[in-house]
Amino acid sequence: MANFDSQTLEHLKKLCRIDCTEEENREILNSLGRILEYVVQLNEVPTEDTASCRYVLRGMLKNQMREDEVKDLLPRDQFLSNAPDQIGGMIRVPPVLKPSS
Amino acid sequence: MKPLHHLSAVALRDAFLQGEVSAVQIVEAFLERIEHHNGKLGAFLTILGPRAWMKAEALDKKRSHNQPLGKMAAIPVAIKDNMHIAGEITTCGSQFLSNYKAPFYATAVHRMEQEDAILIGKTNMDEFAMGSSNENSAFFPAHNPWNLNCVPGGSSGGSAAAVAARLALIATGSDTGGSIRQPAGFCGVVGYKPTYGRVSRYGLVAFGSSLDQIGPLGTTVADTALAMEVMGHHCPHDATSLDLPPETYPLSKKLQEGTVIGIPWQFLKGLNPEVRENFQQALEVMKSLGAHLVEVNLDILKYSIAVYYILATAEASTNLARFDGIRYGIRSKAGKTLEEIYDQSRKEGFGREVKKRIMLGTYVLSAGYQDAYYKKAQKVRTLILHAFDQAFGQCDAVMMPIATSGAFEHGSIQDPLEMYLQDIFTVPANLAGLPAISIPSGYDRRGMPLGVQIIGPQLCDVAVMQYAHAYEQASSHTRIPGNYAS
Repeated sequence: MANFDSQTLEHLKKLCRIDCTEEENREILNSLGRILEYVVQLNEVPTEDTASCRYVLRGMLKNQMREDEVKDLLPRDQFLSNAPDQIGGMIRVPPVLKPSS
Repeated sequence: MKPLHHLSAVALRDAFLQGEVSAVQIVEAFLERIEHHNGKLGAFLTILGPRAWMKAEALDKKRSHNQPLGKMAAIPVAIKDNMHIAGEITTCGSQFLSNYKAPFYATAVHRMEQEDAILIGKTNMDEFAMGSSNENSAFFPAHNPWNLNCVPGGSSGGSAAAVAARLALIATGSDTGGSIRQPAGFCGVVGYKPTYGRVSRYGLVAFGSSLDQIGPLGTTVADTALAMEVMGHHCPHDATSLDLPPETYPLSKKLQEGTVIGIPWQFLKGLNPEVRENFQQALEVMKSLGAHLVEVNLDILKYSIAVYYILATAEASTNLARFDGIRYGIRSKAGKTLEEIYDQSRKEGFGREVKKRIMLGTYVLSAGYQDAYYKKAQKVRTLILHAFDQAFGQCDAVMMPIATSGAFEHGSIQDPLEMYLQDIFTVPANLAGLPAISIPSGYDRRGMPLGVQIIGPQLCDVAVMQYAHAYEQASSHTRIPGNYAS
């Protein structure tokens, strides 16, 4: 298994879309390294003939089908009341397309 | 009549139904207790005063008009702050959701309110339910009513502290790796994690979707059974909700004849002597009730923590991707572009433990590592399910302590791995979807509560509750912490 170094951490932060303070960087680097070392113990367990666990409730869950109709709709203004920024009944976000030069 | 907070939830409801006390008196008494104690305990994040008063007045009116009253009539109930009450704030213990007003009800909570429970407040918790001590709350830590220097456990620490201090008689919790049972054990109350899927997760902020389960905390097994009767219904809004008829929980002081309890002695080796002695006393009680004890082989459970922290964080990393600063929750002012808004909002909104777990989960799912970590863990999870299948071929229920010690002191566990290892006895039931209950079993040398756990096969919720009730009636370790009795 790979060495968990600061380069890996930087890559991971991009994947997660999370920025950290310097102190958090140090602490997270240290603890993730330790935790990954700990979980390596799973390699002791032979699993060549074992299937992955896909459902905990084996045989008890069935697909729950329903009619394709609109129900329990959250009113727009109620939904937008939790939005951090809105305009004209929609959520406002910064421009995602750059103006062509 | 005894002071209201000395009654069980069932007894308080009956006193209300018989006209011995009004709902307004109940709300007055419990809100006063909350006001008096919450400053030091930190059990509640929000107190739902106006809502509780309104419900109480409505209940008194209903009773005076002889209208039918619900199964939980006038019981003051606290709700963990990761479950929605329409129109109230759900913070999930996080800055990210500090202003989030729930637009709908969690099914489990709604069912209790429909059965006339009085929702009295939202309880403190580790941020996004990630923690074993409540120290990860973004607002303030909750404290243990038995000793304020100690943690109440986590993540449902506020719920456990509230019930132990009798600021509410029933509380809801959510249990992904022990978050109901461990704090119940630390605070000397009963905590129940149902079979996966028994209680709808609709309206619960998701953490690890294959592990999460809502359940009750109470001062007696009978009170948690009542809450289960109300919450344990099929719900079309949760695709993993079990489509089975709701259960009733008839309880008896006696154990069913021929009950066999399995003990995984090999897995429990290395137990601290005080916990071992307490556990052995609990086993003696079960024997005196007529139970046969057998040893079962659950050695594979020593890998539970490794499996759990891979799977739970993997699931959390996908579930928490929705918190992007765009649609709800906080949006950072520091971000100008869309990407910066994501990065900065998540930087400012999430605490350190949450960031750490999202990163760990992302890592174990990332290209190149998925087979080594995530898929490996899913295979070992299968082996854990098989081991429990085999154990339940030999016994009706498995018993073990709820934690490796009583409640520890605030700040005493700094090492993240040591903190994760605290969950060793609670995580297995989540990995295998099993019903499990934590019941008070005595006190350690410091006077802090200890607890034992009874784990049953999937769907055997009623049996688990019955074993626990028989144990509780024969042992009676439940007490009110000294400072909260008057």
